[in-house]
Amino acid sequence: MLELIDLARSFDGTVALDGVSFSVARGRIVGFVGRNGAGKTTAMRVALGVLEADRGEVWWKGRPADAAARRRFGYMPEERGLYPKMRVHEQLVYFARLHGLSKRRANERAREVVEALGVADRAKDRVEALSLGNQQRVQLAAALVHRPELLVLDEPFSGLDPVGADALAEILRTEAARGVPVVFSSHQLELVERLCDEVVLIDEGRIVAKGSIADLRNSRRRRLFRLEVTTTDPSWWEELPGVELERSLPGGGVILELAEAFDPQRLLDVARSMGDVTHFSDVQPTLAELFREVVRA
Amino acid sequence: MSERGTDRGAWVLVTRREFWVRLRDRGFLISTAITVTVLSVFILANAAVGDRRPQFRLAVAGVEGRAIGERAVAVAGIGGVDLTLVPVETDARAQEIVREGLADGAVLAGELVTRTKPPSQFEAVVQEALRRDLVRARLGAHGITPSQIDDALDAQPPPPRSLVADPQDQPQREINSSVALVAVILLYGQLFGYGVWVASGVVEEKSTRVVEVLLGAIRARHLMAGKVIGIGLLGLLQLTFIGGTAVTISLLAGSLKVPGEAIWTVFVALAWFAMGFAFYASLFAVAGSLVSRMEELQNAIVPLNLLILGSFFVSIAAANDPTSPIARIASIVPFSAALAMPPRIALGAATIPEVALSVGLLVGATAVAIPLAGRLYAGAILRIGARVKLRDAWRASR
Repeated sequence: MLELIDLARSFDGTVALDGVSFSVARGRIVGFVGRNGAGKTTAMRVALGVLEADRGEVWWKGRPADAAARRRFGYMPEERGLYPKMRVHEQLVYFARLHGLSKRRANERAREVVEALGVADRAKDRVEALSLGNQQRVQLAAALVHRPELLVLDEPFSGLDPVGADALAEILRTEAARGVPVVFSSHQLELVERLCDEVVLIDEGRIVAKGSIADLRNSRRRRLFRLEVTTTDPSWWEELPGVELERSLPGGGVILELAEAFDPQRLLDVARSMGDVTHFSDVQPTLAELFREVVRA
Repeated sequence: MSERGTDRGAWVLVTRREFWVRLRDRGFLISTAITVTVLSVFILANAAVGDRRPQFRLAVAGVEGRAIGERAVAVAGIGGVDLTLVPVETDARAQEIVREGLADGAVLAGELVTRTKPPSQFEAVVQEALRRDLVRARLGAHGITPSQIDDALDAQPPPPRSLVADPQDQPQREINSSVALVAVILLYGQLFGYGVWVASGVVEEKSTRVVEVLLGAIRARHLMAGKVIGIGLLGLLQLTFIGGTAVTISLLAGSLKVPGEAIWTVFVALAWFAMGFAFYASLFAVAGSLVSRMEELQNAIVPLNLLILGSFFVSIAAANDPTSPIARIASIVPFSAALAMPPRIALGAATIPEVALSVGLLVGATAVAIPLAGRLYAGAILRIGARVKLRDAWRASR
């Protein structure tokens, strides 16, 4: 398990991290979400030991993470980078060896990982000769080549087409199934929602929410229902105390917010008395909505 | 299952990569070939010039003329001049040959005849032979025997003696100023060229953003150390190759009679390159870490460039006059020692306390510079974008 404990870091007086704590358990995929400049990259760099924290600790498997432990982490920085003139295989072997693999094992793993990522036929090419998509794959290969015990990926989905994104999601699931804790940052919230067991929301250097998406939804205070009724009265709910319009939907429906005491079945009864109800449902906020709500608060 | 790490230091891997990638670089191979070719041409040209003694031709007519000519050849031998006789039948033919330029001069009736003003060495040799004939004739008239006359004429004063020892004048030394100068030029090229290589290697990793991937596996200071050592070893290898080729070609061309001295000079140059590079390379690494694009690198290395260029000019002066005060100072100050001390050592002008002081200061300065450079490098290497100020780099690291 990876644990970030009370991390703080500032740059020239600008606070980037202000007491950040969260953990990533074995086999879990955690999405790390926040606005640009919220502190995601800094937190990941500190976790990797690329950057030192002003305060706080990073623990791995119940002990402070040392250089030896960090060599077995896999990292993909937001700023992608490879040696453009180095050949793919040679480069992957180099990274594997930097992470402590023997020469023989590094060669084996470099072959395995290009095979798994579908770039085996380009292994002898220079990186600069590859298409952008293939460079992305090699970049991921560089993070995976040493069979890391932990994966920390900064915006791994940015720049990927939907097919590439699906492939990456599958790889992350496979790694997690192997018991590897995976944490990645992303702005593609529907993707995070689909893929992650847990999310951590960061804003202005502080963790503002964390937990499973179900927990986050349950913790929300609002009760929203979507209704579509064929009626001539467009504002039929206005007379009901404890019912507020959240927003009107383009197709003609509405999303209404109910007060704590208002029974949703009563709303349905009123709606049916107005006309034919074609849609009635409990609205689950998307991660994006939760995120906006939390960040606004 | 996860892989167990081997214990080998990651910096060794960086060193190996830096060394091999650059060794296989076409530009490196071409520049090495050019350096060796230029140096070989220089050595061969020097050998050809150094071997040539002045050569002259003297036309002599008849038996009497020939006798004078042979005495002139003997005098020429003492003066280190090659004099060849061109025997002809008559004085008229001798004059003709001189006019046509087939001989430098002719002796006609006890007089040197030339086409135009003769070369001074030729004139001195022939005139001395003629003067000796006159002396013989006059002393013979006084009843002194020819053997007594020759004995008196061959008398020689002892060679001149200098009051102040000047190592450059020691005739047995083969390492002269021009060789020391070549050593300075090579060291300058090597120190600056490889320093820039370190800096541009750092910028390359920064501009391609690969540095953050690397820092996920290796500490910034180790990355810097690996790069500096790898490039430095390549510099040493290249300098050894160039020096070895130069000594070998000199031996083959016959311009080197005492290979020990030349090999010692190469060894001195290598040792000082290693020390000078260790000092400068970490500073070049810092210069590289401050910028994010190759185009900005030229500006970042200006201070180092000036420091090395200044040292270079002072060291040229030291190669010409190794005992001057400026040469002494430059050979002790760490910034310039690596360039100014080798020529002084090679010319035998440096005292052992001076060398010891110079080495001590340079090693000490390097021991101070490397940790400072490591901190600045670590503080600047992840800052992509505008040029990083030294102060900010210092603060960002701890």
